[in-house]
Amino acid sequence: MLTIEALEKTFITRDGSTVAAVGGVSLELDTGNLLTLLGPSGCGKTTTLRSVAGLEKPDAGRIIIDGTIVFDAAQNINVPANRRGIGMVFQSYAIWPHMSVFENVAFPMRVSQDQKYTNGEIEKMVARALEMVRLEGYEKRSSTQLSGGQQQRLALARGLVREPKLLLLDEPLSNLDAKLREQMRFELKRLQLELDITTLYVTHDQGEALALSNEIAVMNSGHVIQRGAPYDIYHKPITEFVAGFVGSTNFLRGFVESAVAGDGMGTVATPHGIIRCLFSKNASLKDDIIIVIRPEDVVLSDKAPAEGGNHFEGKITNRIFLGEVIDYLIEAGDEEIRVRANPECDFEIGAMVNITLPPDKCVGLAEAGEIAA
Amino acid sequence: MSSLPTIPMKKNALMRFSEWLTVSRFVIIACALLCLWLVFVPLASLLYVAFAEDTPEGPGAFTFDNFINAYTVDHLWNLVENSVIFAIGSSALTLVVGVAIAWVVERTDAPGRSIFHGLSLIAFAIPGLIIAMAWALTLSPNIGWGNDVLKSMFGLTEAPFDIFTMGGMIWVLSSHYFPLAYLLMGPAFRVLDIRMEEAAVVSGAKNWQVTRRVTMPLLKPALLSTLLLIFVRAIESFEVPLLLGQPSGINVFTTEIRDAIAEAPPEFGYSSALGLTLLAICIIGVYFYRRATRHAEAYATITGKGYMPTPLRLGVWRWPVTIMTGLVFVLALGLPLFTLVWQSFYFKTVPNVDLIKDFTLESYVYILEYPVFLSGLKNSAMLGAMSATIVVFLGFVMAWIVQRTRMKYAWTLDAIAFIPIAIPSVIIGASILFAYLILPIPVYNTIWILLIAYVTMYLPYGMRFASGGMIQIHKELEEVAEVSGATLMQTFRRVLMPLMSPVLMAAWLYIFVMGVRELTASLFLAGPTTQVLGTISLTLWEEGGSFGNVAAISVIQIVPLVMIVGLMRYMENKVSKRG
Repeated sequence: MLTIEALEKTFITRDGSTVAAVGGVSLELDTGNLLTLLGPSGCGKTTTLRSVAGLEKPDAGRIIIDGTIVFDAAQNINVPANRRGIGMVFQSYAIWPHMSVFENVAFPMRVSQDQKYTNGEIEKMVARALEMVRLEGYEKRSSTQLSGGQQQRLALARGLVREPKLLLLDEPLSNLDAKLREQMRFELKRLQLELDITTLYVTHDQGEALALSNEIAVMNSGHVIQRGAPYDIYHKPITEFVAGFVGSTNFLRGFVESAVAGDGMGTVATPHGIIRCLFSKNASLKDDIIIVIRPEDVVLSDKAPAEGGNHFEGKITNRIFLGEVIDYLIEAGDEEIRVRANPECDFEIGAMVNITLPPDKCVGLAEAGEIAA
Repeated sequence: MSSLPTIPMKKNALMRFSEWLTVSRFVIIACALLCLWLVFVPLASLLYVAFAEDTPEGPGAFTFDNFINAYTVDHLWNLVENSVIFAIGSSALTLVVGVAIAWVVERTDAPGRSIFHGLSLIAFAIPGLIIAMAWALTLSPNIGWGNDVLKSMFGLTEAPFDIFTMGGMIWVLSSHYFPLAYLLMGPAFRVLDIRMEEAAVVSGAKNWQVTRRVTMPLLKPALLSTLLLIFVRAIESFEVPLLLGQPSGINVFTTEIRDAIAEAPPEFGYSSALGLTLLAICIIGVYFYRRATRHAEAYATITGKGYMPTPLRLGVWRWPVTIMTGLVFVLALGLPLFTLVWQSFYFKTVPNVDLIKDFTLESYVYILEYPVFLSGLKNSAMLGAMSATIVVFLGFVMAWIVQRTRMKYAWTLDAIAFIPIAIPSVIIGASILFAYLILPIPVYNTIWILLIAYVTMYLPYGMRFASGGMIQIHKELEEVAEVSGATLMQTFRRVLMPLMSPVLMAAWLYIFVMGVRELTASLFLAGPTTQVLGTISLTLWEEGGSFGNVAAISVIQIVPLVMIVGLMRYMENKVSKRG
């Protein structure tokens, strides 16, 4: 449905220096799927999205939407944004304040080059789009009278009204307050499933990405670092950056104690003893390794478990009660370990506890190698 | 991939060019070129004439004589001294009064604050020439009614005031420009977040410490830029030195340049050489002005939601402060206006006049029957309307290029369009005269040469209004139109223009008012059939016939201009309410 090949884009700043915003990004998105570009600001995710929209002209690469080449640097093809037939929702919603709700949604049909629409057709299409986003009955309202959440829905209706092949969403939820954001998340998921619309989504919010996507592409400094299903991105990060950016994580340093071939269990020597963990790649003896484990996967207990390794002692230095969970900070050797535990697992500050790292939840990463193959 | 549609056809350069050159691109390029032409042709001709021999056939061989002439003139030092004293004196007085009024209006609860704002706008609408004439009629030692009244009241034998002095000039220019200083300083006071001052108070600062350590440093960029702008406008001002300085032999750059050109034979080279010096002073002033305002955003302390400016409670001082402020307006604005209205209806001055018996409409009848008055009125109105339309359009297109396209060096357009702000009207008039005497473009002595001058002079204002308006419009509003399938023209027509229309209307009215008030450049360029209101008023004054006639033509100009300013205020309110 959407293919991006070796996309590159460099910006020239006013003082003449160049900044590579996108450095060779290739992605594929199947019909009906939702792919999220996730990354910190300045990672190139928005530039990639805007290149797909036609609002940015890349320096190199190729973009194909539904079998049509819309951009190809080699062949000098660049279909303008107004000819790409896509729907897009902007971060600021970009609702035109001088138009009514109806006129905002009707705009794409009013300016259409390829097809002339009768007023009856336009009314029907607008009504359907507004119904989809549950804004029926608001047609005559001035768009400035809408609340933030309603403006967001209106922007979505405008993006969907022509039933585009591809929907582009640029941080659509970032301007909403926490509660509305959560509500709109469900709404977006429902719409995407109902309409079965191919969607490219850009966000810096890992929660949004995990909740909405069929697939996530984590980006950093112009490159895609890891692509995968939300579960894999969260539980099997392939670099330290991905692990650190998506959710909070503990990092333990060590080196390979027994060599591993392919995927599988291996052992790593750490200051806390030998830790068994999963490897995603080959690792040879003595390689420097970072073990990644999520705070909620760490198990705390009063006494050392009777059997199995992967455990060591630590001292509770701080605790925060959050309602459904308790967060602990634990000092173990020179390292500080964060643990998110069930409230039943109650320890006082200063208490000595036993920390167990379940081997199947520990991921061993080679320290080098930032960019995915 | 084999099913993908490919376009293997090779295109030649011309085909690619004609494909690339859409209507909108053509318009954009044409506007940019026009702007470059308008700004650089006069400057080039000024330089050329300054280094060329004056011959009866026009500029001749290369020479330095003009500079030697200009800079060995024994009164050159006198010229510099007069210009600088005049500019420093009036900008200082203007700033003090303007800042005081800005403080009263924006930061206190003194009653009548919105009236003062309206009065300031009215003061802006009145042409400088008219203000100078009104003050001459009020405080001239011979004919000023104010002096007569004071003499008879206090039994004086000599007139207590003489407006034809340096002090008089400074007073008159300040009385004309202080509302401008207020209008420039007002926003700075308005956005100054009171909580910054409160934070200082809470930290234990005393009132004067708050003023010295917090308020003043925060206002410094605005103060500095206002001072510099008024300095530049004072040094390039022409009407006040012409009417009040020259009669007593006080010459400044602008009047000297004008005299050299009005002489027979005209000394074009000499005036150009002098003009370059004046231009250099103005460019330095504007350069520092731009530097002072460059970091203005850093000081913008509007803090979004929840920002509520709390006015200072003056208590028992509320009315005294209002009365003092009102007195400034009565003296600086009311007095000259009263003089004009009075003189247009009565030939006798204030003491010993019979209000009913001496009332006359003779002056108005004279003006309406004055041979070139109606054509001058028509010329002024047409020039104002045409220049406003062209400037607003150019400003809109160029602001769009600068802010919305990724064209390399687009920002230079912004800088170029700003250049005319540093060029005094005297030099615009003179250099455009030179340029179209030299160039084979037959506009000399037509209304078109005036239009070229007006458009050049007002370009910076059009640009400023348009960029200011465009900055407020989020770029995504246009991008979403493009993604929705709109062409550039459709985006302009359906999204950008409607959103910007209040700003563009305000810009149009502002420039129209300036065009109708114009005198200085027109003086060089108006031919026998292309007189404008300004040049006709000056002719009437210089003819020295009846002061009633001068007053009547002034009143005729002031009334519609004040009405237009009222309309502008209404537009401004509409813009700020939408924001």
